[in-house]
This record gives sequence, C-alpha cells and structure tokens, in this order.
Amino acid sequence: MWSVSRALPVVVLALAIASIVVLVVDGVGASPSLIASIHIGGFGEVDYYASQPMPNVPPGLLVRVYLINGSIIEPVDAFIDVYANAPSGIVHVAMGYSSSLTVPFNNTNWQYAINKWASLGIPFSGYNTSMLVFITYVKGNESWIVPLLIPYNVGWVYRALGKATLSAATPRYILVNAFININELRPSRVVPVRLNGTVTDPQVFGTYNGYTVYNCSLSGPEPPNIYTSSPSYEFTPTSTCLGFNGSLPIAWVTLSNGVIQNDEGLQFELNIYFSGTINWDAMSTDYGDLGTSYSANENWVLSSPTYTIGSQITQPGSVYWYYGGATWAIVNYEVWYVEGTMGAYYMGTTTVSEVLYAPPYDTNVNPAFDYGNGTISMLYYGAIPVSRQYFGYPALNASTVVDYAAFIYTSTGQEYLYQCNGPVNVTTSGTYAITLGGVNTAYGLSLAELGTGLGGLALGISSMLITPSTSSSVTSTYIEFFNVKTGTNLYISVIDASKTYGLPTFGFILNATSYYGNPTTYTCKYGKVAQIG
Amino acid sequence: MNAKSLFWFFVGFVFVGFASSLWSLLTSILTVMPMPLPYWLLYTPGNIATAGIIVTALMPALYTYLGVALVLGKLLRGLVPIIMVTAFTIGLALLLAKLAIPALVILVIAYVMLIGTYTVLISVTTSRASKALWGVAAMVLALMPPILIGGGLTVMNYIRYMAITEQTMAITASAIETWRLGTHNP
Repeated sequence: MWSVSRALPVVVLALAIASIVVLVVDGVGASPSLIASIHIGGFGEVDYYASQPMPNVPPGLLVRVYLINGSIIEPVDAFIDVYANAPSGIVHVAMGYSSSLTVPFNNTNWQYAINKWASLGIPFSGYNTSMLVFITYVKGNESWIVPLLIPYNVGWVYRALGKATLSAATPRYILVNAFININELRPSRVVPVRLNGTVTDPQVFGTYNGYTVYNCSLSGPEPPNIYTSSPSYEFTPTSTCLGFNGSLPIAWVTLSNGVIQNDEGLQFELNIYFSGTINWDAMSTDYGDLGTSYSANENWVLSSPTYTIGSQITQPGSVYWYYGGATWAIVNYEVWYVEGTMGAYYMGTTTVSEVLYAPPYDTNVNPAFDYGNGTISMLYYGAIPVSRQYFGYPALNASTVVDYAAFIYTSTGQEYLYQCNGPVNVTTSGTYAITLGGVNTAYGLSLAELGTGLGGLALGISSMLITPSTSSSVTSTYIEFFNVKTGTNLYISVIDASKTYGLPTFGFILNATSYYGNPTTYTCKYGKVAQIG
Repeated sequence: MNAKSLFWFFVGFVFVGFASSLWSLLTSILTVMPMPLPYWLLYTPGNIATAGIIVTALMPALYTYLGVALVLGKLLRGLVPIIMVTAFTIGLALLLAKLAIPALVILVIAYVMLIGTYTVLISVTTSRASKALWGVAAMVLALMPPILIGGGLTVMNYIRYMAITEQTMAITASAIETWRLGTHNP
C-alpha cells in the first residue's frame, strides 16, 4: 500500500481545469498573441501583439527600459522621448522619466501625424511609417543614449481605434524593449550647462520673458469661429488653445557676431511704413490661409534711429519693431464642411496660428534691442520648438528665406554688391536699401513669388508705395545701409515668418561669411553684381 | 506494474502543461500592461523560446520516466517512449549540427513514436474516459502533419486549434487518471 495525500489528486484536477481554461482563452485570441518581432541590434526589440481589447489598457505603444550590466537585466528609470514621423517632418509625441512609458494611439500629437499620413490618400497597406524613440539613461555624470526606430502601419492605428476594418490580424499593442547595455555602449560625459534663459516651455502656463502664456480656451482674448466660402468650411475652436500675450514683432534685423567684428562703422536704419487696415489672417496647417481672423487700423510710418555697428551696437543680437500688448495663439480647430441643404460634415481637426488682438494705430509700437531675452529671441528659440511640435517643421530655417543680397569684399581687393533673389535699391548718395513688399502684401504673394523672392515686385521704394491692397495707403518695410565701403562683408538674408505664424513678420539676418541657414541653392542674377567704390 | 510510478507521471504531465500555459497567459497579459516588469516576465520571442526549451526538456524527462517505469514493470512497450525520447534527442542534436535532412528523418520517427507513446498510455490507463481521451489526442496528433503538409500556412489557425485540443485532451486524460489512481487505491 502506498500513501498519497488525498489532496494531490484534487490539486491536479484543479490545475488541469485551469490549464484547459487558459488554453481556451489563448485559443480564441482573448489574450495578446505575438505576431511579429524585430531586433534592433543590441539596443532593443520591438514586439507586435494582436489582441482583443483589454480593459483599462488602451491600444498603442509601450516603451520599457532595461539596464543590462553583465548578466543582470533589470528595469531602470530613464528619459523616454517619443516622436512620430509625419509626411512633412517629425512631431514630438510624448516624453517621460520612468522605466516604462505608454503612448496610446489616440494621443493628440500622434493623431496629428496619423491624420497627416491619412490625408495623403494612399491605401492603408501603403501607410508604413515609423516612430522614433530616444532613451537617455543618466547615472552620475555619464549618460547613455539609445535611439530606436519603430516601424508601424497607420492602418493598425485606425483599426485599433475602431475607425477601419482590415482583413488580416493587426497589432493592437506595440512593445518596445530598450536595452541600455552599460558594458557595451560607451557613455557620454554630461557637461553641466547654464540654462539658457531664452528657452521657454510654452506648454506650461505662466510668464516668460515678458510673455504671458495662457489657456485661450478659458480666458480672453479667445479665438473666433472662422468661416470660409467655396469650399464652405466652418472652423470652431476646441479646448486646445495656447495664447501668447506680449510683444509681437513687425520686422527685425539680426546681427551675427561676425558682422559686429568685421563691419565696424557700417550704419543701418530699419523702417516700417504702413497706413491703413491690417488684416491678420489665420493660417492653418492643413487648409492654408483661412482668411482674416482679426483686423485693426494701424498707422506705422516710422524710421528707426541710425544704428552704427561699433557704437550703438556692440554685441550680436537683434534690433526690431514691435507692437506691445498683442496676443498671438496656436489653436486647435474642429473643421466642418458645410453643404447648403445637407448640413455639416465633420472633417477632423487642424492647428491654426493667428493673431487674436493687436493694439490699434501706433499705440505701443517701438523699436527695441534684443540681446537674447526679447521678442525676437522668443521667435527664434521659444517658438521654434512649439512650431516644430505643432506644425511638424521649424518656423525659421533656410526655406523661409525669401531674399538674398550681399556686399562682398573679394580676395582681389574689390568690393562687390551681389543681388541674389532680392531687390536692392541704390541711391546716388551711396546708400543701399533692401526693401520688402510691406506688411499687407505678405499674404498677397503667390507661391511662385515666394519661391523666387520679391525681386519682380519690389524694384524700389517708390514702386512699393502703391500696394495691391485698397485698404492701405502706404506700406513698405526696408532696411537701409550707409557707409558701405571697401572691405565690408555682409550677407543679408530676408526671412518671411508670415506663412507659419499668421503674423506679418519679416526679418533681415546679417552675417559676415554666409547666408542664414547655409542655403545650397540661390540665384544671383547676371548683371546684378555691381562693383562698389 | 507499479501504479504509483504511473501516478507520478500523470501528476508531472498536468503540472508541466499547467505551468507552461499559465506562463504564456500571464506574461502575454502582463506584458502589455503599463507597469514595470522584470524582463523574464515579458512575452518576448526570447522568453517564449526559453520557456519552450524548459518544457521540451521536462517532457522527455517525464516520458523517459514513464518508459523506464513500464520496462521495470515488465512491460516492454515502455521501450516506445524511450525510443521516442532517444530519437527526439538525436534529432535535436542533428538539427543543432545543421544536418537538416537526417534530423528531419529522425524527428519524424520521434513524432511517430510520440503517437505510439499515446497508444501505450491508452493500454496502461485504468479508466475508460482516460483511454478515450488519449485515443482522441493520438488521432489529432496523427492528423496534424498531413493537414499541415496539404494546407500549408493557410491552415495554420486550424493546426493551432488542433494542438490546443490535443493538449486539452492529454491534460484532461492525465487529470482523470491521477484522480482515479489517487482516490481508488489498488
């Protein structure tokens, strides 16, 4: 006779029943099943799971970070930064400091990128794109950075969110395991840096460098409803509204360190001539210019003092005209297509930048210096990350340069004036004016003209006095140079920020050795090169 | 024939089946949950392979135990599981040595012997229900290769269901036999 605990058969029976339940659950696909996996070198792996919807676990991307030290592999806290590839660039999606980060498919920023892809009108199978994940693990004064590329298909997202039916099984959960192998990856030394006071994080409401960043869906000025005809769209602001209250730039000159060092004695004036009604347009990332969202009567006939490099200006920075007490906003709008008899169709959402308020006439219009903490720095540094996030590309780069001109001192000892794309007006008294087509014509420019510069339009100040807009009488913005002499090295790039910001805003960027953004292509017309002096 | 030996074989069979299926269910669910997890709890290909290796190591051990117990009980059919395990081990070794064709031949023999082992189990189990379940499991096992060869990847889902059915049958049969041997002492 042998003795066995009477309980054992019961336990075995229970385990058998449990196993069968588990097998059936597994068999009907109720639990996640691995359908694909990718190894990314020794840095990580991506696993794709098909599954029935799981309670409280939204479909999407899950990033886990593991530290590998010898044979030990353990979860570790690290900076996780996730970006989505969009057709026009990269959109920042999410970030966190943790050992795991969840990014659901319905994340607003991810949806923005997804909708961008969907708007291309390619069949679902053609929507293969990727996410970018950067893992930064910091220990002591050493850091390890692991970049990972996560392929996915836009159709999966639509299917997981119940917006599309795809025939084949598609992943509902994408797991990214990032490996920080401190035995194999070389660390970078962390160099402590002084935080740049001009870099602001407009995601956080508050006051920065004279700007009040507020939630403009809760307090004023608030964005208006916008209507367009043919095609008929109605744009209704949603609760996502980021308002910037402070100084908005009209025009600016930015001088590089090289100019300060090389062109001592060079003088310039920055002049803005405008009289009439300014219509500020709302600019949508998807629908372009939506038309006027704010207008006011303005009267700016103002010349700046004459600034001399070496006297009034001794360090790199910007000189600019601004109107104070104005409000600019980045707003998320719902879009409805309106049809006469059938009603309205929901088209999705779009990001719009627009001016919500500007003081009338020349109230609070002044020139100012910006040595790293003013309006222009805000435009360069503060708004660039915002625009990169919301529009998918930085607002100011080489592609937003519309005109080029240069005074170049050649190696043979001669001084030349090069007009590349741009209009330069030379007076007999030896002054040179780089003219823009004025604030109100910014929106009147066709794409072709933007592409080729303002050369055809602006032959001189006099021709610019007659504007295409009937509501204004005088409109011109220009920079005038005096005391150009043999040895002057000056590359002038004219930047048009209007298209992105909905602000009629132009900048003259002065460098001593090359054009802004080092453009690879620009045309210098034959016969537009003149010897000076 | 010592019923005690067979009892422990069936207990082991249920335990291994339970542990492997529970591991795959738990890890697959935990993996997609937004919480920190040790790496071995993730349902990743590497871990699935490791779990598979552990199971493939445990099952031959169990079958060897079965075969030896039967042979010692003067039942020569115990050689069938022993041959199966031997063939399986040799096949795996050949596969590791990258000798695909001989490995395939040996593994086919091992598979046939696995069906044979099920038949042996039918002959030594004491309950009729258990015999029937092992019988169905053996038939499913025998049908899987021809269906897979005939249908290719398009029938992969059916093969999956058949494998689950086979496992369910085998586990149920083992549980019934454990119950019978454990509660009706001979």
